[in-house]
Amino acid sequence: MVLTGRVLSTSRRLLLGAALSSAALAGCGLLDSDPEPEPQPDPLQPLLNEALALAAAYDRAILADASLAARLTPLADDHRAHAAELSRVIGTAAPSVAPSSSAPAGAGETTATLRKAEQAAQRTAVAACKAATPERAGLTGSIAACRATHAEALR
Amino acid sequence: MTEQLAAALAAEEAAIYAYGVIGVHLKDADEVSRARACELEHRRRRDELVDRLDRIQASTAPAPPAYQLPFEVTDRESALKLAVHVEDGVAQTWRALLPVTEGADRVDSLSYLTDSAVRATRWRRIAEVTPLTMPFPGRPG
Repeated sequence: MVLTGRVLSTSRRLLLGAALSSAALAGCGLLDSDPEPEPQPDPLQPLLNEALALAAAYDRAILADASLAARLTPLADDHRAHAAELSRVIGTAAPSVAPSSSAPAGAGETTATLRKAEQAAQRTAVAACKAATPERAGLTGSIAACRATHAEALR
Repeated sequence: MTEQLAAALAAEEAAIYAYGVIGVHLKDADEVSRARACELEHRRRRDELVDRLDRIQASTAPAPPAYQLPFEVTDRESALKLAVHVEDGVAQTWRALLPVTEGADRVDSLSYLTDSAVRATRWRRIAEVTPLTMPFPGRPG
């Protein structure tokens, strides 16, 4: 849709240019000097960034304390599943979703800080669901609910 | 939206019935009171759905006199399994309301989806079932 709109307005400008001065058109100066508008980030991009950041935070917590692995790995996997699905919907290349074994350990993640992060992330997802198109309402809603279950699982 | 509201009503009715069965098989006082609290919440939602369907003057199929449980409930273990199953099922029907609602109605549907997903996680922890969570609560299949 957006692409079609831009093509149309470009051809309109081309016509206008041709009417005013065929010389300007020949040099294509009109088109070259027209800066491309900055592409708007997808409204789900913050949700995707958050999913990746949370997955990485769990990885760091597990690296710092291996005894947490059984409890935290499924939660990190949920975030990776969210990131993969969000990338697909946004249409960006799938981010690296492999566990980052090289993540710096000792960044201070505890189940308490992770729980806080999940609660904040849940609020982001609720807002995203509220603003989402019908096609995206289910996905964002499930992500919000999942983040709430993570906060519960970390109790 | 009537169709999705009717599905949510059917799921809430089934949940109320199921918690009656679940309660019979739980002995621990804390577990019994949790089940009771869940039942009350589902009754509250059921009443709200009935009102909502009344307001849009939709007639729904009357609740069946008895429900078919998805599996036999004979002890604490199967009772806890049913509680997880019920909350997962209810979550699915509320998720289906998200695309057909907006604004405050959508936020309400999301809060019920979330509430049921959190209850399912609590029951899994009590039943010592892992993982405690699923990536996409309410997504069918």
